[in-house]
Amino acid sequence: MIKLGVLRTYYGWLALALAASIVLPLVVGVFWVHVLIEILIMGLFATSFNLLFGYMGQLSFGQAAYYGIGAYTTALMITKASIPLPLCMMASVLMAGICALIFGYFCVRLTGIYFAILTMAFGQLVFYIIFQWYGFTGGDNGIQGIPAPPLLQNVYVYYYFTLLLVIAALIVMWFITNSPFGYTMRAIRDNSDRTRFIGINIRKYMLVNFVISGMFAGLSGSLWAPFNRSIAPDLANWAHSGIPVFMAVIGGPLGFFGPLVGSVVYTFLSAFVTGFTEYWPIVIGVIIIFIVLFLPGGILGTLQQKTHPVETNNPNNKKKETR
Amino acid sequence: MTESQLFSQFLSGVSRGMILFFISSGLTLIFGVMNILNFAHASFWLVGAYFTWTFWKILYSPIFGLWISIPLAALTMAGIGWILEVVLIRRVYNRTLSEQLLLTYALVLIIGDVIKLTWGVEDRIVARPQGMEGFIDILGAPFPTYYIFVITLGGFVAWGLWWLLQKTKFGRTVRAAVFSREMVGALGIPVHRIYTGVFALSLFIAGLAGGVQAPISSITLGMDMSIIVECFAVVVIGGFGSLPGALVGSLIVGLVYSFAILVVPKMALVLIFVVTAIVLIVRPWGLFGTPMRA
Repeated sequence: MIKLGVLRTYYGWLALALAASIVLPLVVGVFWVHVLIEILIMGLFATSFNLLFGYMGQLSFGQAAYYGIGAYTTALMITKASIPLPLCMMASVLMAGICALIFGYFCVRLTGIYFAILTMAFGQLVFYIIFQWYGFTGGDNGIQGIPAPPLLQNVYVYYYFTLLLVIAALIVMWFITNSPFGYTMRAIRDNSDRTRFIGINIRKYMLVNFVISGMFAGLSGSLWAPFNRSIAPDLANWAHSGIPVFMAVIGGPLGFFGPLVGSVVYTFLSAFVTGFTEYWPIVIGVIIIFIVLFLPGGILGTLQQKTHPVETNNPNNKKKETR
Repeated sequence: MTESQLFSQFLSGVSRGMILFFISSGLTLIFGVMNILNFAHASFWLVGAYFTWTFWKILYSPIFGLWISIPLAALTMAGIGWILEVVLIRRVYNRTLSEQLLLTYALVLIIGDVIKLTWGVEDRIVARPQGMEGFIDILGAPFPTYYIFVITLGGFVAWGLWWLLQKTKFGRTVRAAVFSREMVGALGIPVHRIYTGVFALSLFIAGLAGGVQAPISSITLGMDMSIIVECFAVVVIGGFGSLPGALVGSLIVGLVYSFAILVVPKMALVLIFVVTAIVLIVRPWGLFGTPMRA
């Protein structure tokens, strides 16, 4: 695959998206600025998840754990010790990374369905610890009244702050996925046996990727806490782990920007639909079934196949191997 | 803590395990035969409980109401399962693991809302049938009579499933289809109909479990979301696709929970996932399973 070529086809779209993300909050109402912030944070979360799903080929169903750890670290440090936000964010990323290192050490030993369930089991572990530890985390009451620093109290300022951080994080992830490390991940995804045969310690590589993914999930969680002002243990629940999966599948897990597109579609639709009905889950459920049945590559994947029908080494298009 | 209290705690662990077994037996059956991990299985269980409530309300008979409602709910679920397999599940047998998981997860969301639309958001309560409202004395400690029925039925379902899979033609065909789908098809047996049958059977048991659950506690939205992860724990501990594994796993999870709640009440659920994680790390295919699709 070509490094810049892929980017170049996106250049126009990237410039457009960037321009839109700068101008849009100034023309839409305050409600939609909140939605835009959510799109950015969840887009970062989904992109971090996709490091495992799209690039490593493993489905994690416990990504919300690292998001929750990030959100709780920031929230606890702000409310209990009034520590400045940048420090909280660094600590969140670090905490999420440490937890991802501990859990990931075991998770990368498994693949496929076992990987999915072990990540989920660890996720539920984190969820129940947060849920039951009333003295420290507030249990199922969550934490309310998390103040954003005075500078970021204004929602527009918080938007541009989030935009800046998310773009920086995306650039870092872009370079990671297009580095030799990123290509090793793709090799492991496509054929882990052959990758092992050329002398690569695949578990080590997978663990590093797992930690990176957990750290960015932690960053997105830590952006969420002061934005939403209150957090609840549900952020770490397995149901919340499903959202980045949905976003990646809607947008297309094989392109770098797929989860981001998925986040735009999912979050926008969610805000729009919940405006007039509480039955959002049934809407997204039907959309997901439709995408799984008829658009297996997601929106970007399908568009790309329509415009550039190049052969893509798509593991998701490969027929499932029978035992 | 006296011996009799411990024993009644043991029995309540077993009855909790039985409910888990009802759901996870279907889960493991679907996985073993069709290689699909059905996220929505507990949601079907919850729908079964709501159906039981509806039938129970219509029949309005304190003696027979529940005994008729439970089989009716189970049959309804079997019918729903039959239709669902033909319309939807059949289309994803050849898809990747993640697509199958997503499809069944989407079903969880849809079913949750369908329940809300059909039965509303308030809790539903089904009274225990006449003669089973009270407690009986077991070694000097009171134990709910209804739980005795739950445990007995659990044993009966376990035996029934074993009999069905080991002793009948249907069971032999199912086991052959697990072994080699192509060969069974080549012998002229319509494999897709076997699959539909297994899916309907699994939903029948889920419906049965929902009906049995209905008088235990009030029926609430979201019950399915928390129990499904426990059922995953059961299936992981017992081994994917293994029915004896599902039984043993259910008992382990049920007992660990009911004793942990005595000693470290806050850690009970955490402990279950610790056990699950340990089993997955040490022996990913579980106690009774064989290494399968990675």
